[in-house]
Amino acid sequence: MFELDLKSRTPISGQIVDNIKELIVSGVLHAEEKLPSVRELAAQLTVNPNTVQKAYSALEQQGYIYISQGRGTFVADIKNITATPAEITDAEIGLRDSISKLYYIGMSRGDAEELLRKLMDERSDWK
Amino acid sequence: MIEVRNVVKKFDGVKALDGLNITVENGSIYGMVGTNGAGKTTIIKNIMGILRPDSGTIRVGGEPVYEMEEVKGKIGYVSDDLYFFPGYTLKEMGSYYGGIYPRWNSERFLDMTKNFALDMKKKLSSFSKGMQKQAAFILAMSTMPEYLVLDEPIDGLDPIVRLKVWKYIINDVAERRMTVLVSSHNLREMEGYCDHIGIISKGRMVIERDLEDLKSDVHKVQVAFREPQENAYEDLNVLHYEQRGSVDLIIVRDKKEKVEEVIGRYKPAVFDMLPLSLEEIFIYELGGVSDEIDGII
Repeated sequence: MFELDLKSRTPISGQIVDNIKELIVSGVLHAEEKLPSVRELAAQLTVNPNTVQKAYSALEQQGYIYISQGRGTFVADIKNITATPAEITDAEIGLRDSISKLYYIGMSRGDAEELLRKLMDERSDWK
Repeated sequence: MIEVRNVVKKFDGVKALDGLNITVENGSIYGMVGTNGAGKTTIIKNIMGILRPDSGTIRVGGEPVYEMEEVKGKIGYVSDDLYFFPGYTLKEMGSYYGGIYPRWNSERFLDMTKNFALDMKKKLSSFSKGMQKQAAFILAMSTMPEYLVLDEPIDGLDPIVRLKVWKYIINDVAERRMTVLVSSHNLREMEGYCDHIGIISKGRMVIERDLEDLKSDVHKVQVAFREPQENAYEDLNVLHYEQRGSVDLIIVRDKKEKVEEVIGRYKPAVFDMLPLSLEEIFIYELGGVSDEIDGII
């Protein structure tokens, strides 16, 4: 389903969370689609099942997936998901870094605004 | 659960274990690390019931292990100093194990031998050290152990074989909630597979924690301000501070959010925050005992 970077400093459970979120948010995984079980995903990625369990719990808590006893783990309907303050802070830090980069390479403010608008427009589903 | 409580073991009056405590939860992969001579092999031999503690208790699944055959039958063990009966082949060792271990799985034994490409009809003494280690691992896993105790099982194996070993371990943890205690000097690899880490030094437990919790509490931060700031890090728990030109490198033990909030107050020009690797955690957490750390890494 995805690959992990075992050399990365990001904890493995965090990488699993990020990857699955990305697949859901980008529409690769659809609502009500079944996800691999903890065992299957642990075997597939060769990672500790407890780590996968931890990632699934975090995703469930954030509303991206739901666990149906005896049936398995499914992608939730994410239309009503609201970002956590930590997620917003994270995104803000990333954005600030990118903006600093534009500033330091000497891009004009107008060009930067133009670029930002263009990139936002690329997400045609973002109304 | 494997519970080691206050275990003391002396050799010739020297304390190899000095009040050691270890808790391994069921279904966990627990990595035990420490310097040579920290007591890892000694505690493993005590857990296996090969040695008897001078004081303290050891329980595996709630039962004492010393001279208790029934409990020992549930524990698979790969020792650091491998031992096979002289002149035995892997096949002969397999039938011997089959006679002793109640849950011996001969189908798995054959499968694994094939998968690791070992010749079961050759004398084990003709195997290389690495092949002997694989043979010991196959024997241990074929007993379908509830508990798997591994003393430096991966050190000295090639990367392909190591990945195979981990795949088998992970499969059994996932399928049957096997409980694993593994000692190793390979911190990178332990970091990838273990959920709990215990750091032993001089026969005592220094840190025992969930690996991801441990990692999420310590950060490496690079900060630079446009104007020099006084006491900018006052509200943080700084383990290490270093100035590299106009950039400060600090190691902080605090939650990520708190670090962001405190440093954010001063509007830094550069602010990068990275989680630490297990190796780095050792270096900075145990900064006071740096001789030991050189040994661990």
